[in-house]
Amino acid sequence: MNLKFLVVDDSVTMRRIVINSLSNLNFKNYVEASDGNEALIKLEENPDINFVITDWNMPGMTGLELVKAIRASEKFNHLAILMVTTRGLKEDIIEALKSGVNNYVLKPFTPQVLKEKIDQILNSKN
Amino acid sequence: MKNDASVMNKLFEKLDDLKTIFLYSEKLIPIIQKLIDFMRNTIPLLENINQSITETTNKIPTATNQIDSVTSATEMATTEILDTVDKILSEINSARTNVDNLINSQNGFLNEEIKEKLSLVLVSLDNINQHANNVTLSLQVQDITSQQLAAVNYLIQSVQARLSSLFQDLEDTNISQMNKLTDKNVFNENARYQDTSQQQKEIDQIVTANNSAASQDEIDKLFLKK
Repeated sequence: MNLKFLVVDDSVTMRRIVINSLSNLNFKNYVEASDGNEALIKLEENPDINFVITDWNMPGMTGLELVKAIRASEKFNHLAILMVTTRGLKEDIIEALKSGVNNYVLKPFTPQVLKEKIDQILNSKN
Repeated sequence: MKNDASVMNKLFEKLDDLKTIFLYSEKLIPIIQKLIDFMRNTIPLLENINQSITETTNKIPTATNQIDSVTSATEMATTEILDTVDKILSEINSARTNVDNLINSQNGFLNEEIKEKLSLVLVSLDNINQHANNVTLSLQVQDITSQQLAAVNYLIQSVQARLSSLFQDLEDTNISQMNKLTDKNVFNENARYQDTSQQQKEIDQIVTANNSAASQDEIDKLFLKK
């Protein structure tokens, strides 16, 4: 499967770390966005995106709002969504899952955990 | 005559009451005087407190700006470190390719000792590559600390907002304009840089339970196990 990622995080540092980790996993095809609003624009511009990795806390549209927007959209609701965030409270995780994320990674993450979650999502989609 | 005596008795009763009031007032006057003195002494103190709070409140925008500057500076420094790590990784990759090419091109001509040493070089290059990647991952601390700083900024700005509203009615207050309150969605006040492996396991259990349509009670039980 030819994967194209959309990496959404307001932190430049985190975007680079996620992208570096993806590159090390041989996923070289990606676009980035700094918040939910920009992410939606990038999705429109790049119809070949099939995997979204998003942070939760962002200015403008948050990651959670982005997830809800994606799931509410007929055009994008098939996308795989992985949330990578510092929020580790039970209610946060449940809220994210109910909103439609496929999996959830807590920051700081290791590349092994990132790979494991990406693989789990891809396996469940196949 | 009897009536006159009754009036006189009433008069004496009233005079007794009056006497009691005077005696009571005599005791009360020093207390009131002390109260007045206390208030007189307190007014400059209150003025000092007022001025001190005004000055402190006026310094808040500078403090929050400095915190923002720290966040920007660490982000810039982190980007520089990431750039440098990328260059190191690129050099390692290039060195690895060169060693691989050398081994392949000289295959059959290299003696065992050189082959062994080149293999050790490749192992070292792989280790350096791993260490460099670990440096990159550790830089996640920048994002997490910037969220903690944003939470502190929000708290300081909230205090300023409260103080400003308290002082708004005072005529002689000179509290400077507030900075715009930080967007609460930008940070997680509970963000921590720590080993998340145990927490990640618990999250994985919730995700699994959720995917298998577990009830809220079952999910709650997972957390009670802690």
